[in-house]
Amino acid sequence: MPVPQPITDAHRKVAIICSKGGLDEVYPALILANAARQSGIDAFIFFTFWGLDAVTEKKVDHLHVNMAGNASSPMPTMLAGLPGMEAFAAHQMKKSMAELELPTVREMLQILDEAGAELYGCELAMKMFKRTKDDLVPQVRDIITAGDFYDLAVGAQIIFT
Amino acid sequence: MMQEDLIPIVQRLDTLLAGVASLTERQRKQEELIAELTPIAKVALATGIDKLDALDKQGYFAFGKELIDIGKKIVEGFSPGDVHQLGDAIVQILEAVKAMTQPSVLAVAADAVSVVDDAADVKPLGIFGMVRATKNDDVQKGMAIMLEVLRRVGHGANVAAGQRAALEDKKSKLAGILGSRKQKRLGTERKALPAQAVTRSAVTPTPSGASCAPGKPQPTAAVIDGVAYTADGHLADAAQWSRSLGEALAEMQGVTMTQAHWGIIDAARSDHATTGSAPNIRRLTQIASVTTKDLYTLFPKAPGRTIAKIAGLPKPAGCL
Repeated sequence: MPVPQPITDAHRKVAIICSKGGLDEVYPALILANAARQSGIDAFIFFTFWGLDAVTEKKVDHLHVNMAGNASSPMPTMLAGLPGMEAFAAHQMKKSMAELELPTVREMLQILDEAGAELYGCELAMKMFKRTKDDLVPQVRDIITAGDFYDLAVGAQIIFT
Repeated sequence: MMQEDLIPIVQRLDTLLAGVASLTERQRKQEELIAELTPIAKVALATGIDKLDALDKQGYFAFGKELIDIGKKIVEGFSPGDVHQLGDAIVQILEAVKAMTQPSVLAVAADAVSVVDDAADVKPLGIFGMVRATKNDDVQKGMAIMLEVLRRVGHGANVAAGQRAALEDKKSKLAGILGSRKQKRLGTERKALPAQAVTRSAVTPTPSGASCAPGKPQPTAAVIDGVAYTADGHLADAAQWSRSLGEALAEMQGVTMTQAHWGIIDAARSDHATTGSAPNIRRLTQIASVTTKDLYTLFPKAPGRTIAKIAGLPKPAGCL
């Protein structure tokens, strides 16, 4: 039975740099990587600086949202800086994410790994934060340098979050 | 006759002689005066030069020169129109100064300034202290005055802005009449999108939850062998699907169907029949009880879309 020919687009690849550890800053990187895999695009994420928190075993379940200085936040900056506000905002955001059946960051990392997206940690940031590979979630494949990142990113579109 | 003729001449000579004598006398007096004055003048001149020298040393001449320069700059920097306006404004300035220097106003200002002298007695204040302080009548009055000053300043600024805007408007109208100058706008150098992209986006349907209802066919881009397809290669109408068509579609996607594959396709089709939308990967893992990894193993390239295509469903909605 004749059917439409598949679109034979060139082999695509994205390299995503995740440099911040806020809940609102980590999700875009994870969702973009996941969407890439779902669209048949190769994807890998390079976690550096505070972004490392997203793949650190002790931190991944406790990522916060910083409302202070966020112009889109409904909370006045004066109040957003008070103690506990980060945790409160994170709690609210996690609640609305749960309503959307959005997976948690830990689940997202699991999904990404299964979908074939590769996760890497930044060597320099690891040294800076005095972390070893054992401190990271098992989905992180390796600790690489910025130079290694460019070797991996040959032919890829690079996204910085 | 000779004598008679000589008389007036002698008389004229007498007068002349008298005149010469008087002149000689004056000349003598002048010479005396000069002789007397010269030493005095010399002293005066010397003193004068000393005086000027002292003034120069004190910087008066440099100052004067600077003053001339300033005057020059003022003349260069201001047009006659400006000076005319200044003339008008001077009255207002003087009135403002007069109003500011009224004894009552000065007393208030002096009283306010005296706070700085008594600063040692003033206690530090936090944000709640500020709120408490607003209960004081004097503070309330002061705040009201400050706000009124702000309001007037703001009003004045708005009026000035309005005048400027009117001026700009006039200028632009004038420019319109005289013909526009060559203006470069950022971004205009970018080429317009190719016509192809525009037509494609016009044909491609935008999938949304509502448009995925079963029995509601998607816009058709091509009809092959009596089966309608959308622009992105999905079946336009899920009802047209048959197992043999699914087999052919799978072959075209490079997928060799096994029992495991069919299990997922069937789950996707039944989910579409109940919910009205094509399941995304996350939903597939829940309804077909498979892992994400299984889906990527069975359908390596873009599992969500591939499954939807083989199952004859529209493109799955959502990010996950």
